[in-house]
Amino acid sequence: MPKPHIHNNIRKLRFNHDEMTQEELAEKAGVTRQTIIAIESAKYSPSLELAFKIAAVFGVPLDEVFVYETDISTE
Amino acid sequence: MSYQQRNVMVALVTHLMIAVYFVINWLVMYTGEGLVAKRVFTLWLTVIVATIVVTILGTILTNIVSAIANAIKNGSEKVETFIEDERDKLIDLKGTRISYVVFCVGVGLAMLSFVLNQPALIMFSVIILFSLLSEIAGDIFKLVRYQRGA
Repeated sequence: MPKPHIHNNIRKLRFNHDEMTQEELAEKAGVTRQTIIAIESAKYSPSLELAFKIAAVFGVPLDEVFVYETDISTE
Repeated sequence: MSYQQRNVMVALVTHLMIAVYFVINWLVMYTGEGLVAKRVFTLWLTVIVATIVVTILGTILTNIVSAIANAIKNGSEKVETFIEDERDKLIDLKGTRISYVVFCVGVGLAMLSFVLNQPALIMFSVIILFSLLSEIAGDIFKLVRYQRGA
């Protein structure tokens, strides 16, 4: 069974948006800064609703923020 | 430390103190004049009421103190917001699940005391002890999850 991984580009997108802070992103997405830290470090996978909210903050499609990959080496 | 972590920490300290109070009083009773129904149920009532009252007061006081500390640190312009988001709710749910599992084990052990021909007061004591231990287990689990960031 391949192991799924969800990568994200939040750090890069924050940098491209005038070095937006995690606090600012958290405020705009309506969550705590700790949640943004957990998502950015791939320790927590957000709900679909929150994922869309984060994508909307950056004004990009969802698949530019989150990338779903399966680890084929474990097959 | 976030708002939720502070509340969990207050709840953990409260539950630990009340569990210690319960165990000490129970041992004094058990080794002294033995278990008497009236005293066991009085202790049970004291523990339940103290848990509710001390947790509420502790949470209120912690939030007042942290709000004052935050105002002094950042000035009155930036007000700390207390948001509970989906991750907090998920951690809370998982902590509650751990609490229920521990409490179920306690109820099982309490029923086992009947099999071992122990008096009914032992069963009631095991149930109240495990209700406190289940809360402690849930609080520890939540703190660990917050520390790990997941």
